[in-house]
Amino acid sequence: MPEDYACHYLPNGIRLIFMPTKKFKTISLGLFIHQELNRDVVALNALLPSVLEQGCRLYPDYLTIQRVLENLYGAELGTDIIKSGERHIIAFTLETAHDQYLGANGKLLQQGMAILGAVVGDPLLIDDSFNDIYVAQEKNQLIKDIKALLNDKGAYALERCLSLMCAEERFGIYKLGRVEDYGAINAARLYSYYCDLFTHNPIDLYVIGDLIEEQVLETAAEIFNFSRNGRSDTLPETEIMGTVSEVKYAEDEMNVNQSKLVLGFRTATGYKDELYCPLLVYSGVLGGFPHSKLFMKVREEAGLAYYIHSRLERHKGLMVLAAGINYSDYQKARDIIDLQIEDMASGKISDAELDNTKRGLINQLRSQQDSPNQLISSHLEGFIGGRVYTIDELSEGIEAVGREEIMAVAERIKLDTVYLLRPREGGSTENDND
Amino acid sequence: MTMTDKYKLIENRALQETLYYYRVDPGMDVYVLPKPGYQKKYAIFSTRFGSIDNRFRVEPEEDFTVVPDGVAHFLEHKLFEDDRGNVFDRFASLGASANAFTSFTQTTYLFSCTANFKENLDQLLNFVQEPYFTEQTVQKEQGIISQEIKMYEDHPHWRVFFNLLEALYREHPVRNDIAGTVESIAQITPELLYRCYNTFYHPSNMAVFVVGDLIPEEVGRQVEENLANHHYQPMGSIVRLYPHEPAEITRERIAQELVVSEPIFFLGFKDIVVDKLRGRDLMRREILMELVLDIMFGSSEALYNDLYREDLIDENFGAEYTAEINYGFTMIGGETKDPDQLYQRIMEIVAHVKKEGVSTEQFERHRRKILGGYIRRFNSLEFIANNFLAYRFRGTDLFELPSILQEIRCEEALALVEENLEPARHAVSLIFPQADQ
Repeated sequence: MPEDYACHYLPNGIRLIFMPTKKFKTISLGLFIHQELNRDVVALNALLPSVLEQGCRLYPDYLTIQRVLENLYGAELGTDIIKSGERHIIAFTLETAHDQYLGANGKLLQQGMAILGAVVGDPLLIDDSFNDIYVAQEKNQLIKDIKALLNDKGAYALERCLSLMCAEERFGIYKLGRVEDYGAINAARLYSYYCDLFTHNPIDLYVIGDLIEEQVLETAAEIFNFSRNGRSDTLPETEIMGTVSEVKYAEDEMNVNQSKLVLGFRTATGYKDELYCPLLVYSGVLGGFPHSKLFMKVREEAGLAYYIHSRLERHKGLMVLAAGINYSDYQKARDIIDLQIEDMASGKISDAELDNTKRGLINQLRSQQDSPNQLISSHLEGFIGGRVYTIDELSEGIEAVGREEIMAVAERIKLDTVYLLRPREGGSTENDND
Repeated sequence: MTMTDKYKLIENRALQETLYYYRVDPGMDVYVLPKPGYQKKYAIFSTRFGSIDNRFRVEPEEDFTVVPDGVAHFLEHKLFEDDRGNVFDRFASLGASANAFTSFTQTTYLFSCTANFKENLDQLLNFVQEPYFTEQTVQKEQGIISQEIKMYEDHPHWRVFFNLLEALYREHPVRNDIAGTVESIAQITPELLYRCYNTFYHPSNMAVFVVGDLIPEEVGRQVEENLANHHYQPMGSIVRLYPHEPAEITRERIAQELVVSEPIFFLGFKDIVVDKLRGRDLMRREILMELVLDIMFGSSEALYNDLYREDLIDENFGAEYTAEINYGFTMIGGETKDPDQLYQRIMEIVAHVKKEGVSTEQFERHRRKILGGYIRRFNSLEFIANNFLAYRFRGTDLFELPSILQEIRCEEALALVEENLEPARHAVSLIFPQADQ
């Protein structure tokens, strides 16, 4: 959210956001296609960037694209699939060093954008279909990626908790989908989906760097000129559920040394809610920082964990608390955690906790402006959430939060799901004598 | 005498950056890089004390002190607490975010902030210079660090890395985990921490790097004044003792079972030349190795693309070279369904390059890539500060990369691969999925 940016629409309806700045050594481009998070299309969405990255009409295979990028002073093309609330974002980024550090005569914007445009908008086609081999290969890679979630126990526990918690909601879908979601996809189906997506769905193009606005606009209009509906479809908003009828409890056993505890809460407070800033402060005081209650009580005072924190899913209005503990300390840790949540609800928050959290949050907001990627992602969050906040708006909002607002938001916060990944019974690795 | 008498400018034309260097009493280097337009200011305070510094003496002492594994990391944790409480709180009240990390060779304390820079910098300098260790706080930390160790024990990519170092090295402490083990940290006492602190946290063994929209002279003066208030006496030089490391490896293969979706395979080569190199020569070797490895294993070359098509690797496959003052190694690998096949193919390309060398086209293309990547990384204040001091501590200079990159020649590649990727000094590390997971 820089104070200074320009927003234009290209003739075909693509939204262009240009952030001029002299402080970076790079030209950063980002192209984001918005889609709803939905079981029917989750695997198609995840496959698209991976398949497109494998080759395009001009550069028909991965090796060729990589060599073109290398000759462009090691420009980096990245693809990603992002889940944000119940939005699914297909992401492409391209970053190159700025001409002025390479004596490259101002051509890198045009050349970088042309590669991005070729990969995204001018794919390799065989008989009105994507290349079968690339589609099969990337299906296989994504299925491996889904299975590999297991390798990172913290991330695995978090996904397990969210999928149990939101089993009946679109948010419960993993960003890569399930293995079985890939079965029916072939190259022709993926291509027809791609055509449909490009015609109807909102697309945002970001450009950041020491560049001239007219030139950026002209270059973008020339390169991203594929025909599409001038007006993009409106995507459904993320549904925010506030009620919890019964707290769910689930645990999995695995051959691990450390237990991973994840608590999922519903805050009933979304991005546009009047209590959004109080929610930011609530989560910050509870577990957003090393000065927060959870870190101080569970780690520094009781010595039970190395990591413990709370995080928000801002669009869905969820708060997730995660910690790595000994299984035998579970009850001890839970008791301390529950006490902190009670203290939040009753407004037992010191002036230092409140002030330090506000300062910390504002420091994070300001720091975002020093990274092109963070500038893009925080601005994109605004589009996803239906409201683009400026840094000043958010800072003032955070500044104004008092105990009453925190207690008001605390009333909405309900524990929904407790998930524990624990060492296998009778396993030899658990060590409890520390 | 004022600060401004003693500063030195280090210009970098490729980056269009000017670095300010100060030498302050009692013998500490301070670097300030102005970054106009940045909101954030980032400062690090580092000591040349890492996990491998476990036998040492200070001149004129004659006896070496030997400390258990994990002491440098433990000390890092414990500096965040003193008789006034928790240091994180004090940074938080100034709106800063503070942290620290310990590597094989150094310990670094840091903060970043967008307000109250001067107060935060004093805070950083002060807490690192004011140790406070008691029986009780040491005991509590043993619980916390045990959880950190257990977290890493469950981390397959961390395990495959340390297992490989264990297979490559027989004696050198780089084969031990940075955090130590639950058993080794149980031996740590306040006295031991003070002993290490008094040795390695003397300013002559430390350095400061600050980057952001700042006036360099003010920062230099502030650091100088802060150190003057602590009234340091000169200290004898630190003598670190590293065991003699034979050229031979410990074992050719090391395997462990963990809960993973697919085997993880890493192949490593032990470097035995690196400890004879210093300064520019060391850095030259590092850059040339990076370039050659990228030609052999990078995503723009045939091998990577063949392996990917054959489903033997995923996009995380890669190769990396590490060169420190007294150890060095190359690591190649990733997740694979068939470690034996992947092993074959890696050894084939090594043999191939030893015979055929690399082409000028490849060399120039990868040279451009490294230059562009280097420039792009200078967006990040953290990258600049952390890497500058890491290079400095091994007697090299991050700012010299562009000029060394231009110097290296394609013809050197062959000899380097021949000498450094020697089959007699290679080992493999494997993580297999558990049978009953």
